[in-house]
Amino acid sequence: MPLIRRDDNKTAAPREPVADAAALTAALGDPDPDRRWRAARSLGSDAGAVPALAAALAAEQLPQVREAIMTALLRIGDAGAVAALLPSLRAQDAALRASAIEALQAMPEATLPFMTALFADADSDVRILATELVRNMPAETATPLLCDLLAHEPHPNVCAAAIDVLAEVGTPAAIPALQACASRFAEVSFLRFVVAVAIDQISGAEH
Amino acid sequence: MTRPGAGPSVAISQQDVRRLCEFLYRRTGMSFADNKRYYIDRRLAERIAATGCGSFADYFAMLRADAEHEIEHLVNSFTVNETYFDREEHQLRCMTASLLDELLTRKGPDETLRIWSVPCSTGEEPYSIAIWLMEHWRDVDKYNIEIVGSDIDTSALQKAEQGIYGERALMRLTRDVVARYFKPLSPGKYQIDPGLRESIRFTHANLVDAADMAQYRDFDIVFCRNVLIYFDDASRRIAAENLYDCLRPGGFICLGHSETMSRISPLFRIRRFPDAIIYQKPGADHDEQQ
Repeated sequence: MPLIRRDDNKTAAPREPVADAAALTAALGDPDPDRRWRAARSLGSDAGAVPALAAALAAEQLPQVREAIMTALLRIGDAGAVAALLPSLRAQDAALRASAIEALQAMPEATLPFMTALFADADSDVRILATELVRNMPAETATPLLCDLLAHEPHPNVCAAAIDVLAEVGTPAAIPALQACASRFAEVSFLRFVVAVAIDQISGAEH
Repeated sequence: MTRPGAGPSVAISQQDVRRLCEFLYRRTGMSFADNKRYYIDRRLAERIAATGCGSFADYFAMLRADAEHEIEHLVNSFTVNETYFDREEHQLRCMTASLLDELLTRKGPDETLRIWSVPCSTGEEPYSIAIWLMEHWRDVDKYNIEIVGSDIDTSALQKAEQGIYGERALMRLTRDVVARYFKPLSPGKYQIDPGLRESIRFTHANLVDAADMAQYRDFDIVFCRNVLIYFDDASRRIAAENLYDCLRPGGFICLGHSETMSRISPLFRIRRFPDAIIYQKPGADHDEQQ
């Protein structure tokens, strides 16, 4: 029989001694990516590590380690962790932006207080990405947030992004805001179209 | 539209189905073509009735909040829940046709090939892997192979260790294979050969517990099918990182047919083999050369 059974864990990696927070924080800057990865994973239970994780995220180039840093921030899940993730929304690297969005989507309660500022950001690309952060929020929270955005947002592409999210998460209370948006951008044909689709979807209308 | 025979009268419109499908695709990676409309309607109506929701809107709100683990219930209604031997045979075929050859180029002759089935439920998968290797891999006698089956459910693990199955679980195995690896116990009941049973270790494991997962390292292949899609976003990320740590560089992870790692974690690379799409931990020589 070629199958063997080990009832111990001889093949498991030997457990490293538990490092203190200072050592783990220092390891975030280690030249060895494996050490950085392990440090980031260990710091996810230490709310005091947010500044170090934020600095490491800004400097880290390896996607796997960045992922671990973001997950650590997600596990901490407080306002500081959200603030540490938000700069990644402005990154040139699309993968980094996408990872940050996913991490922020997974912490909707902590992200909620930042939404007003994000929807008022001077950069329309940031406002577009911010609409995605609402997608995992309860419908009763997401709907007024996105409706408020639609009421004053000057950029049709941001409106379109918000409407796309509303189509999934919005309640019928969004319909007047959607109709008003379509009227405000009457000359933008694609926006009229996406508004019609969203209203159909929210109201469950049959084609 | 009300579908008669699909439970109580619940109005489900085409737009409702579209909304549901978009959510399911984003959340789980499961995708349904338009010709699946009736299939979706039936299951959706059943779940709406089962949850006591009065409308699609109420049900969708419950689903989005994942109240009462409704995502799991809905996904279960769309998938084959029954576990049986040689389920997703294409991945087993891929293992012997492609994965092992690649893994063995990096292994010394005395190194053990380590395979992990998690979650293994009542043991059908790890036993299937063992039987498949012995039946379909010509080099099976040249290497030491260690197979571990793990699950969070200890009662399932007890059943796995007993290795007693009904005929339905064996439906994909030939009579010859059943005769070689099973002993009839009573009409319709079979028990795995004691030698095979004793060669597989069954252990408790919680995929989202990093401390628990730290004991699992250096696997060459992990079969982790149909569990990650049930996790919320945070748990899925943590589980993916834990699984990453459990694999050797260049090791492979096989997910369920309705799952895609690209929706779960960017940590792994997609490898397309003739029999299956498999995810790989970077770091092996093969990857360095690409």
